[in-house]
Formats: sequence, C-alpha cells, structure tokens
Amino acid sequence: MLMWEFIIPLMAAAVQSGTPILYATLGEMMTEKGGVLNLGVEGIMAVAALAAFVTSFATGSPWLAFLAGGTAGLAFASLHAFVCITCLGNQVVSGLALTILGLGVSTFLGVPYVGLAAPGFDPFAFPLLSSIPVLGDIFFRQDMLVYISFVIPFFFWFFFRRTSLGLHVAATGEMPAAAAAAGLKPVALRYFAVLTGGFLIGLGGAYLSLAYTHLWTNGLSGGRGWIAVALVIFAFWRPGRAVIGAYLFGGVMAFQLRLQAMGTHIPSSLLLMLPYLLTILVLILSAWRGRRIDAPAALGTNIEPEA
Amino acid sequence: MKKMMKLFAASALSLALMLSLFACAEAPEEKKAEAPATQSEATTEASGEASPDASGEAAPAEEKTVKVGFVYVSPVGDAGYSYAHDLGRKAVEALDFVTTSYVESVPEGADSERVIRNMARKDFDIIFTTSFGYMDPTIKVAKEFPGVRFMHCSGFKKSENVNNYFGRIYQARYLTGLVAGAMTKSNRLGYVAAFPIPEVIRGINAFTLGVRQSNPEAEVRVVWTKTWYDPALEKDAAKSLLDAGCDVIAQHQDSPAPQEAAQEAGAYSVGYNSDMSSFAPRAHLTSAMWNWAPMYVKTVEQVRDGSWQGDQALWWSMQDGVVDIAPMGPMVPEDVKAQVLAKRDELMSGVDTVFAGPIKNQQGEIAVPEGTSMTDGEMLGMTWFVEGVVGSAE
Amino acid sequence: MALKIRKRDEPWKWGALVIFLGALLFSLGVSCLLLAGQGKDALHGMFILWEGSFGNLWALEGALLKAIPLFLCSLGVAVAFRMQIWNIGAEGQFALGAIGATWMALSFPGLPWYGLMPLMFAMAFLLGGAWAFIPAVLKLKLRVNEIISTLMLNYIAILLLDYLVFGVWKDPTSFGFPMTPEFTSGAVIAGIGSSRVHWGLLFCAVVGVGLWAFMRFTRLGFELKASGEGARVARYAKIRYGLLTMFVMGLSGGFAGWAGCIETSAVLNRLQPSLMVGYGYTAIVVAWLARLEPLNIAFGAFLLAALRVGVENLQLELQIPAAFGVIMEGMILLTVLAGQFFLTYRIERAPREGGE
Repeated sequence: MLMWEFIIPLMAAAVQSGTPILYATLGEMMTEKGGVLNLGVEGIMAVAALAAFVTSFATGSPWLAFLAGGTAGLAFASLHAFVCITCLGNQVVSGLALTILGLGVSTFLGVPYVGLAAPGFDPFAFPLLSSIPVLGDIFFRQDMLVYISFVIPFFFWFFFRRTSLGLHVAATGEMPAAAAAAGLKPVALRYFAVLTGGFLIGLGGAYLSLAYTHLWTNGLSGGRGWIAVALVIFAFWRPGRAVIGAYLFGGVMAFQLRLQAMGTHIPSSLLLMLPYLLTILVLILSAWRGRRIDAPAALGTNIEPEA
Repeated sequence: MKKMMKLFAASALSLALMLSLFACAEAPEEKKAEAPATQSEATTEASGEASPDASGEAAPAEEKTVKVGFVYVSPVGDAGYSYAHDLGRKAVEALDFVTTSYVESVPEGADSERVIRNMARKDFDIIFTTSFGYMDPTIKVAKEFPGVRFMHCSGFKKSENVNNYFGRIYQARYLTGLVAGAMTKSNRLGYVAAFPIPEVIRGINAFTLGVRQSNPEAEVRVVWTKTWYDPALEKDAAKSLLDAGCDVIAQHQDSPAPQEAAQEAGAYSVGYNSDMSSFAPRAHLTSAMWNWAPMYVKTVEQVRDGSWQGDQALWWSMQDGVVDIAPMGPMVPEDVKAQVLAKRDELMSGVDTVFAGPIKNQQGEIAVPEGTSMTDGEMLGMTWFVEGVVGSAE
Repeated sequence: MALKIRKRDEPWKWGALVIFLGALLFSLGVSCLLLAGQGKDALHGMFILWEGSFGNLWALEGALLKAIPLFLCSLGVAVAFRMQIWNIGAEGQFALGAIGATWMALSFPGLPWYGLMPLMFAMAFLLGGAWAFIPAVLKLKLRVNEIISTLMLNYIAILLLDYLVFGVWKDPTSFGFPMTPEFTSGAVIAGIGSSRVHWGLLFCAVVGVGLWAFMRFTRLGFELKASGEGARVARYAKIRYGLLTMFVMGLSGGFAGWAGCIETSAVLNRLQPSLMVGYGYTAIVVAWLARLEPLNIAFGAFLLAALRVGVENLQLELQIPAAFGVIMEGMILLTVLAGQFFLTYRIERAPREGGE
C-alpha cells in the first residue's frame, strides 16, 4: 500500500498544479481556434493574478475577485486583438510584447500589495464524490475553482461542436475569406475568440493568487503561460487532450519535487528539466504516430481588409 | 494625408524637444526644493550611542555629508531578501546626515558592474552591493575608484576599499531547528531550499544540528527549487515534503508560500527573512530573521567619522543584532521556549558552538572532530550536508 | 463622418520612420503619465532618462557594451524570422554558445589568444547552431512547432548551464559558489584601448556586414529572401526549403552562440548562472522593431540597450521601480506594431452614401 500513499497525493498535486495551466490552455485554445496566436498568455496571467488579488483584498469577496481576474484578462487581451485584428500587426511579436508589458505592469502596480494576504479559495471535500475510493481523493478534495475547471472542457467541446457561434468561430480560424463570403463577420468573430480566450487565461491567472497561493508577488505566473501555449499544440486543439496535458505537466513537476523529497541523489538541475523534456518528447511521439495535427489553417495570419 | 502626417510628426518632434529643454531648465530647482523637505530634525533612535557627540562636531546639521547607495538583486517589493536590506537602508536614510538611493532588480554580471560604476561616479561615499553575484564587479569597480568605499554582501573577496560582510544567520537557523526538533512528531522535517550554494547549505546544516540536538532521531529532507522566488513552485515543493510525511516545513525561499502549505496541511512551519507569522498564524513556530539596520547605521557612522576601514571580512552575528528569531508561536511549550531562549542568550553573549565538533557528514564519517570547531573559511565554503539531512547537496 | 480603409498604391516612403517616432512619442507620453501617477515630476524624469541613456560618454559606453550581445542574438533571430521560422530560442542558443566557449577555455588554458579564441568562437557557433538544429529537424521531419520546441529548449539549456556550473565545472577555490574558474588571459577578449568597450564590437560589425553582403550577393541569400516572401514563390524558384530551414536555423543559433561566447569571455571572464539575463528574448523585440534589417538592428539594439541603461539612472535619481523600463519596452513594441497598419493602408474619408 506504500505505492498508493505515494501515488494518490502525487495525482492530487498534479491536478492542482495543472489547474491554472488548464484554464490558460483552454483560453489559448479558444483564441487559436479563431485563428489568432496569442503568445501573451504569460503577461495576461500576471495582470489577471494581480487584478484578482487586489479585488479580493479590497472587497473581501473571492468570487468577485475571480471574475475580476477574468475581466482583467479580457481587457488585456483586447490590446492584442486591437493590434492584430484591427491594425494587422504581427501576431507573434504582438504576443511577445503583451508578455513584456503584462509582466512590467503587474510588477509596477503590484508593489503596494506584496506581503499582504487576501481571502481566497480553500480545498474542501466535495459532498458524496469525495468518498469514491482513489478518484475521490485525487479529484474531489480540491478547491472550488478546480471543480469549475472540470466542467469548462465540456462546455468548450459543446461550444465548438454544437453551437453555430462555435462553428462560425472555427470557420474564421480555418478560412476567414470563405467565412466572410458566407456572410459571417470574421473580424467580429476573431475579436470574440481573443476576448473570451483572454477571459479564460485571466481565470488561470486568478487561480494563482486566489487558490494556489493567497498572496500576490511579482513573477507569480512563473512561466506557466508559456507551458499553456505549448500544451495547446500538444493537445491538437482538443479540450480533452488539454486536460490530460495540463495534469501530465503538473504531475511531472510534482513528481520531480517528490523524488527529491524521497531523498534522491540525482542533481536537481537534471530533475527540473523533466517537464520541459517531456513536452518535447510528447510532441515528437504524437507526430511519430502520424496523428493529424488539427491546427486551424489560418492560425497566425491576419485578415486583410477589402480595399 | 501623407503631408499631414509629416507635419504632425514634425510638430510633435519639436514639441518634444521643447519639453525636454524645459525639463533641463527645471531640473536644478526641483532638487533644491527637495532637500529641506526630507530633512529630519530629530536624531533617530536607530543611530544609537554614536550620534549625540557626532551632532556636536559634524558640520551643520542641514548638511547631508554622506551619500549611501544600495544595489539589490530583486525588486524591494519582494518581501524577502532585498526587502530586508531595504529596511536597513530606511534606517540609514533616517539619519540626518545621510542621503540614500538604490537600484533594484539589477541582474548579476555585466549590468551590475555598470550600475555600481555609475553610483561610484555620482560621488556616493559608500555603496552596499547586496548579492553574491556582485562580488567580481564590486572588486573591479573598487579598483577604479579608490576614494569610494564598498560593502559587498555574502562573498569572500576584499580589497583596500572593499569589505565583505554577511550575517551569521546560521545561528538563528540553529535556534529554529531546536524549536522544530521539539515539535515534530513524525521525526521527519522538510526544508524548501533555493540553490545549493554554501549559504543555503550552511543554513540547512545548522537547522539540522538544532533539530537533532532536541531530537536525535529526526531527519531533515531537502527539496531544491532552483529559484529564489516562485511562490507557486515553492508551495508545490512544500506539499511534496508534507506528502512525504514531514510535519514541519522550513524554508530558504523569499515567499511565504511554504508557510501557507504547512498551515493548510495542519503541520508546523519555520519562516525566513522576516517574521512570517501573519501568513500562517496556526502553523508558524518561529522565523530566522535578518535585521540589517544596526550594522548599516554603524557602518555609515564610521564613514562619517572617518573610522571606516577596508580590507575586512565582517561576519556579523546575533550579538551584533543582525540576525535573530521571531517570537515563538503559542503552540510551542514553555519548557522548549525556555531552552531555546537560553541558547539564544548564549549566542547573544558571543559564545558560538553551532558548528563545534563532533559533527558527522551524511555518510556518517566524522567531519569535524570533537574539540575543534569549523573555521569561518570552512563554513563559508560548506558544500556537504551533516548527518541527518536526506537529499543531494547538488 | 464615415472613414474608409484603403490600401496604399505605393509604399509610404518615410512611413516606417514616422511611425517609429510617433510610437516612441506616444510611449514616452504614457510613461510620463505613469511617472506623474507616482507623484514624480514627469518632465524631470524624462530628462534624467535621457541623461542616463545618452547624456554622457559613460552612458554611451554602457549602452554600447549592452548592445553587443543584443545585436548578435537579434541578427540571428532576424535571419530565421525572414524565412518565417519563429525561432524564440535565442536565449537557449546563447547559453549553449557560452557553454561551448567555456569548454574550450577550460580545456586549453595554456593557449595564447590567437590559438584559443578561434577554438572558442568555433565551438560556440557549433553548439549554439546545434541547439537550434534540433527544432529545425523536428520541424521538418515531424512537423513539431518550432515556437514550442525552441522555447522548451531555452529552459533546458539554462538548466544544463546550471548543472555544469553547480557541478563538474565548479571552481574549487570559489568556496562552493556556482562559477567556473576565471579564464586565462588568452580566453578573455580585451578592451579597445583604455575604454571599456571590447573588440567584440568589431566582431559584430564584421558579422553584420558579412550577413548583409551574403543576403545581397549570394544565391543562397536570394533564396532565403524569396522563401520568406511565401511558400509559393519559393516553390516557383525551385528552392530547397528543407535544406534552407536547417541552414537558417544553424546560422541563427550560431549567431546567438557567438553572443554567448563574447559575453562570457569579455564581460564575465568566467561562466556563471548570472550570465542569463534575457538577451535572447529582448533580441526578438529588437529584430522586429528593426524590420529584420541588419543596419536597423544595430540601431535598435543600441536604442533598447540605452533605454535599459537610462532606466537605471531614473531609478537611482527618482527611485522609480525597475519595472518601469519593462513597461516602456512593451509599450513601444505594441504601438509600433499597431502603427505599421499605416504602412500598407491609409484611412480616408468615405464618400457620402448619397454621392455614390
């Protein structure tokens, strides 16, 4: 039974450290489905984490704070939308600029909030479900925001498979010209994708300062935004695989820390490489097996306005 | 259209030029206006005994005679290491003959050299460079500016006008270890640590020696994060230790996230840098704390009096007030408190037996024989773990 | 009044410059507001920033020094971007270059500079190039997205550097601190005359001119440019896309590797983790601001380096948080991007509907 004692906490930790990445990955996936690449995830998360913390600190309401995080993400992503969709700026560079700006803004404005504590979300045992053996211990002794993240992928799937708005968004990501010819408004749809995506990414940032920790510090995003960008590709733009990817990444990170806690003598630098090596390895393996990569065809290209 | 844009650009440019000229003209006035405002009449308590006679003989009180610069490796808002130094700076700033300034988030390496040189050029009298990586740049710049004094924190080089200094935080670590060892029930303690450098390893060893002093059965498990500052990762690391059965979490990290993790798991925690009890009131046993203010003030006073000397290796101890522990939490039994405070009194009186033999290393071999003590040099270069630490020192 | 967007018939000749200056002014304006928000005198702040960036010889010297690694990384990034290959991995390639140079410097400490330097530069180029080669191969053979693979390799490279300096290459006399022994004099790039600026500057100039000539006068350079225009053009010109990708990535990584070599040798004189300060990421900003042209990159690298140096002065004099400079950088980039819209399009007053 020693194995279970090791594995169950490991999996539970994987779920928790995977959750902010999951929110961000779904947000980025939403954005990319609409044909826009947003490399600003890291910056958006940082800004959203600060906004959420400040709101929680000022109002004492974690729920309001969670929404504020999402809204801040949306607002910040709108910069990217404006630069790329309206001004036709290069998406790769605009995303990078957003990351730089976001990290700067959050550090700059966050100074007075460092070292304070604000209310947030704490783990609790979900009624009934938490008593399922093994699975209950892994998935249902988490905080509320983790439970919310369980349902989002289903909505995501439903949105793109069953609603016309979802189909339209996907169409602008595949062939904006054709979508326009069919009477859709690709520009508006792309704005929708980037802003909703920004909202989701913002929720991921809010998770960091509300549930993961209950404090604000600069550098809270700690590279998780970049991982999210990687996981979208890993997930082939499918929400289900995003879940697996996020938990896998969280799991490997948690695993290497646990390996150290067990008293291994492998140098820590090498152990810390594991998650990044794994990401590359998984990308290679999925390509090896000849999986079709479902990248939106028009990803990264802007829609030229008709002259 | 094109013409309009050009016109607009041209006018904007000239406007900018005008504005910057305006700024030039205004600049000196601005400075004059600032000086009297920041001046404080009262001699502060922080300056201690030296100030009364000093105020008599030093030039008129309005004269700011000593200009002090600080270079920090991280933002001062990090509530951690740089923040502790900045509290020291503020104490210095409160002296009425001093002006201070700082530059934060200065990467070690080429950038720090430029910042330090820039300060030296601007006639700073003494410059504190507060991170290990500033060592070579500090020595380099000091050679070019023999008239400027330098204080480099946590390194091992010195010269004519450079002192290196640090605090014996390991003394505080040892005391926190005494507390932690008495409080553990599982006999397994966790230590979230940043980088495997001597400063951190020494802290882990002192903590472990303290732990095993009160509880010879206990072991200390170490997890490296390879970052000074990533709250989420630090919390993960703490959780991994808690999952491995540890019931006290200590840290050599700048964020209070490990404290939170301990409290959530119903375990105990030991903080670092400053009193971290506000982050985890139910878990927090005590913290190993920095307090740079007294020695920074003393150093700056030496500069004013002309008694400052270079080429020294200063390793300030609990006796100097630079390191201490935070008040112990209500969960710590009175007899443990008394025991720890007795040891603290001993350290306060200048008797330091933390690294006195016999000390065994991780393999169980005698590393420090009985009757001897580690020298400062040996402690500065410590790269091995003592017996009782589980984990790799790399 | 209705506005209408029209594509320009001919490119706007001075547009790029006007937009750049406009964006710079806009960003400075917002920065002033930020300063005012902090309760500081904004104009005085701008003056201090100016003084710290360009106001005196030392500032210029500092900026020039900082511009050197930025220039080389940026040049490498630009070569790849030109072919629409998104190499985000200059940071990792920079690290590998530093590792390569250090390896040679530590292996042959006795060699004089004319023997050791070529070895160091060659190994830096080789390792940096090889590090960039991995994503190139992955992209070609397995269609692994290069943005992700180069990014992941950045993290791995930095940890590899950590592993080396914390372990096998650690200086036994450094009291256990993570750094290699100091390089011998043959492995250190010297300063020019009595100044702080080192011979790496000349090297940059040679590489810059060389690249320009290469792009302009060789067939390979032409192919490279053509394939950047689009896959169809490339196919029409019978360009070997795969070969070119590998070549470009190798070159790109090699340049970043050289930057790592120069920074290690001339500035730090040893390898230590503090080498990594994000030049590889800033290089992307520079490359794009400079529209991927070598000469512009030189200006851009200098400008951004000067901005960073100037912000330090701002901190020192007014105690502005360091993040202020980061905000300025991000804002300049975003506004330039947004402004580029006007390069290809113009906004006109639309004719009244009744008039049609």
